[in-house]
Amino acid sequence: MTATALPAEPKLQRPPAERRYASELEKLAAEDESPRPPGWALSLQAARTFIVGDESRGISRKFVGDPSLIDRALVTLATNRGLMLVGEPGTAKSLLSELIAAAVSGDSTLTIQGGASTTEDQIAYSWNYSLLVSEGPTERALVPAPLLRGMSEGRVVRFEEITRCPLEVQDSLLSPLSDRVLAIPELDGDSMVFAREGFNIIATANTRDRGVNEMSAALKRRFNFETVFPIADFKTELDLVETEAAAALSRSGVPAPPSRDVLEVLVRVFRDLRTGDANSGRPQAVMSTAEAVSVAHAVGIKAWYLRGGTAVAGDIVDCMAGAAAKDNAEDLARLRRYLEQKAPKRKGPHWESLYQARNLLPG
Amino acid sequence: MIERLHVQGVRHHSPACARLVAERIEELRPAAVLIEGPADFNDRLGELALEHELPVAIYSYASTDLAVRRTWAPMCDYSPEWVALAEGRRAGAEVRFIDLPAWHQAFDGVENRYSDAERRYTEATDRLCRAFAVDNVDALWDHLVEVADPEGLADRLDRYFDLVRGEAETADVDTAREAFMAQWIHATLAATDGPVLVVCGGFHAPALRRLVALAATENEDAAPPPLPEPPEGTETGGYLVPYSFKRLDAFAGYQSGMPSPEYYQRLWEAGPEEAAATLVQRITTRLRLRGLHVSTSDLIGARSLTEGLARLRGHERPGRTDLLDGLASALISDDLEQPLPWTRRGLLTAGTHPVVVEMTAALTGERVGRLHPDTPRPPLVDDAEAEMARLRLDGDGPLRLDLAKPKDLERSRVLHCMRLLRLPGVKRDEGPTAGADVQAHEHWTLDSRADRLPVLIESGALGATLGDAAQTVLEQRADAETALDALAAMLFDAALCGRAHLTDRLGAAVESAVDDSGNLGEVGPALATVLALWRHDHLFGTAGSDLYAAVVTACANRLLWLAEGLHAGPGPADHGRLRAMRALRDAVRHAPGLTPPAASVAAAAQRIAIDGQAPPDLRGAALGLAWALGAPANAAEAAAGAADPDRLGDWLAGLFAVAREEVLAEEQGVVSAVDELVADLSEDEFLIALPALRQAFAMFPPRERGLIAERLVAVRGGGDARSLTRKLAVDPVVMAAAMALEARVEAALAREDLVFGGES
Ligand SMILES: Nc1ncnc2c1ncn2[C@@H]1O[C@H](COP(=O)(O)OP(=O)(O)OP(=O)(O)O)[C@@H](O)[C@H]1O
Ligand SMILES: [Mg+2]
Repeated sequence: MTATALPAEPKLQRPPAERRYASELEKLAAEDESPRPPGWALSLQAARTFIVGDESRGISRKFVGDPSLIDRALVTLATNRGLMLVGEPGTAKSLLSELIAAAVSGDSTLTIQGGASTTEDQIAYSWNYSLLVSEGPTERALVPAPLLRGMSEGRVVRFEEITRCPLEVQDSLLSPLSDRVLAIPELDGDSMVFAREGFNIIATANTRDRGVNEMSAALKRRFNFETVFPIADFKTELDLVETEAAAALSRSGVPAPPSRDVLEVLVRVFRDLRTGDANSGRPQAVMSTAEAVSVAHAVGIKAWYLRGGTAVAGDIVDCMAGAAAKDNAEDLARLRRYLEQKAPKRKGPHWESLYQARNLLPG
Repeated sequence: MIERLHVQGVRHHSPACARLVAERIEELRPAAVLIEGPADFNDRLGELALEHELPVAIYSYASTDLAVRRTWAPMCDYSPEWVALAEGRRAGAEVRFIDLPAWHQAFDGVENRYSDAERRYTEATDRLCRAFAVDNVDALWDHLVEVADPEGLADRLDRYFDLVRGEAETADVDTAREAFMAQWIHATLAATDGPVLVVCGGFHAPALRRLVALAATENEDAAPPPLPEPPEGTETGGYLVPYSFKRLDAFAGYQSGMPSPEYYQRLWEAGPEEAAATLVQRITTRLRLRGLHVSTSDLIGARSLTEGLARLRGHERPGRTDLLDGLASALISDDLEQPLPWTRRGLLTAGTHPVVVEMTAALTGERVGRLHPDTPRPPLVDDAEAEMARLRLDGDGPLRLDLAKPKDLERSRVLHCMRLLRLPGVKRDEGPTAGADVQAHEHWTLDSRADRLPVLIESGALGATLGDAAQTVLEQRADAETALDALAAMLFDAALCGRAHLTDRLGAAVESAVDDSGNLGEVGPALATVLALWRHDHLFGTAGSDLYAAVVTACANRLLWLAEGLHAGPGPADHGRLRAMRALRDAVRHAPGLTPPAASVAAAAQRIAIDGQAPPDLRGAALGLAWALGAPANAAEAAAGAADPDRLGDWLAGLFAVAREEVLAEEQGVVSAVDELVADLSEDEFLIALPALRQAFAMFPPRERGLIAERLVAVRGGGDARSLTRKLAVDPVVMAAAMALEARVEAALAREDLVFGGES
């Protein structure tokens, strides 16, 4: 807790949401007149504004999508039920859970990353073994993991990719969610940690992974489900890709992001491939908005550092071959078919450039 | 006088607006109430004053020789227009519709007069949605109007509509209607000295105020606008029709208005709390009927979510999306394939979650309107009801007709007319069809509970009797259609309906189209159809025999000509082509006087059969044709000539399509010849030949395939015939591919000297 260390702190690549938007959160809290649920840093109204934005108050729009989704998510948390965000990869589930945690608890860092080897140690608590040996199971020897911290501090815990965890590990959330209590049997007198107000869980799950339907019914019942969909509207998606790519490029020291025309081609290609059609079929790779942003980023970097100029549509092909169609021969073939059949039908110099670049595809 | 003008902009089908209209009439006691609605209906407003059960719609049509354009102006209990009519009448005001008639070009492409006009101009509404953090216009509307504080609603509506209208570039269609409405208002203000209340779509309200003020300052002529005349050759008219909530909710895109009619009906009758409670109940019932589990704790959860959502959104009382969102969160523990429909607009898409389907269906509701019995109806309705009663077709259940009996033939014709008009509850299960043998019986299933009235009224534009209306349907279709086979199908329908005039016309159209057609696949069905008509003519009695005979002749000659000239390489068997050859066979058999003599058809067929440039399926079919017509044909020998693995199956398909009976009648012959040919194929060749061979033998019905198998087994010296035709667990094509793969692996192993345990 040494505040003096702050100025010397190196620039983070991506500070957590509560740091990135610290001034917005501060402003919202100061102006907040609506009642706050116990343990919440903001009222539901202010939390919603934080996420969907309000131009007139200088609050940026951070998540693009149906505002009703945010409403349902916040009310779910306020009624003390867990929130499960499901959807295709790259639909901003993680971003959304980060933003909600930042708004509700002022802290989005209590995060558990789910995986096949996730253990209860990483979820609830573990022990400092040298202390354990010298003192036995005391509170001092206890090393709290995010769940224990969230419960004792009254904060939102984020559980990323929950369906990747073994089922019995997932089920360790049952009693924290339903009884709001965590037992630590090793401590003297069977100690129990009771959750403080403000504690809750936001889980995310990817529909391409092992589905949520394998989750135990008991655990499912303790969550309200929200499906996050890819952005429906073309222009909205394009706007988002444009802003996000420009921000990412400026962090990489590239002052000239790809032009809107080039990005328009990029986003159109992604949307076409995402829906797929009888002819080319749906790619295995994820054609998400997030992926489009990262391809736009790569395109910008390449043009700037390798050619010293701005990107042309042809660069997209190269970067997609490396990124979107990673190690999948079929996807590569799909992309080639798309470039050969669809691209020449679209009008404009950028589509022409895209079409010409089809030869850059490997193989 | 402009201060006597009160323009109340409304959203069509909005309960809050309907309530507001009632209040304004109560407080203004207007001398006149002018309503956005078809002015050509003004002398029939009495029909609307009858005691109907809503929803009903004013249905308008404009029919020309080419097409009928149809427009509906649906009204329900909570329509502001309906309330304006009823309350205006009660208050003793002069009540008038002041909008252009539905046939006017301003309504081109409009099916729903009461759709939301502003739907076409979305920029302002999009911005409002962002500002209020709602998903779409419907949610915005509920937020600002339906569940908002009624206090100050009129001002809020004015500001809302000013904003929406303020930025929109209006289209000409709106300009024409607004000019007409403004002229009515101006004239009414001049003719009365009391207050005048205008009830119109809010999008038009600012423009009407402006236009009327302008007319007043410029002292324009204060005569009501003359009702425009429909264009020459267009017949127009309108009737009240019973309507339903399902139809009201099914308009999509620019045609749509407020969704969820049953929800708003409840809101209108009992307020938001009651509406929510009733609908939760109905949804629960529906879900349980579908076997979907809903527990009490789910419902408690939904309720607290709905309350929480209403509070977050600043609603004192729960609104439609608060209710839906709460239920969706509480009841669905799955990932969704499709977004919740109330977050987007439009119809349900495939893949919508079953719980969501039931929820939206409950909010749509099943209410069906009913007209007061005194409501005038188009003559077609009375004709249809009289005919059905006279011929005793108003009953239920199966009906068997013998077309040789005059009375039954008459009944059949009426039923076919009803079928063509798509009246519900009329279904033919069996009867004469093109390409089949003569059949004198017809089986129908009737259901008198089906709601036929709306369709009948709406078909009123097509003619005054069932026969005339059906004829119009066919004529309009015929005008739009040039494909020979489609024309022939219509000809068949016309004959079934007993429309002699039309059969003449269509027959002539078919005859003249025959010579232009270069496509066997088109001429074939036409021949089959007309041949069937010619053969059935003693039953149908349309006295078309001469015409049909001429068409049969034309088709047969054309077919033969086209078949002889057809050159193409091998390719998958073309079934249209094969059907054509079969139709030719039937024509020569059943109408020998109308076709070239059997001997010369057979001779031509034999020429095609040996024509190396003809495709294999056609050659097989030609051989079959010659054989079927009694010419000497040695199919077994010919098969040997077509033994290429990539032709054999297609050739056989052609042969079997035309000469199935002949093949079966042989004890030995082509089938055993094929058996030998197949046995001689290498495994690779077999793999190539297999798919087409399977298709060819699929031409035999299962029983006949069994027969063939028995013979083969006998030739081969015994075994179980059934095992040959048994349905295999694995597709034989897959199996053959697997065998081929195995052979290749073995060859590779052998080449590399890797065979285990065996001396090579
Ligand atoms: N609707 C959206 N609103 C805002 N940003 C979006 C949206 N969709 C995609 N993005 C962009 O994509 C990124 C989303 O990535 P994120 O990791 O949150 O997705 P995810 O759904 O968690 O994916 P995964 O399933 O792979 O974990 C955001 O950082 C943002 O740049
Ligand atoms: Mg994620």
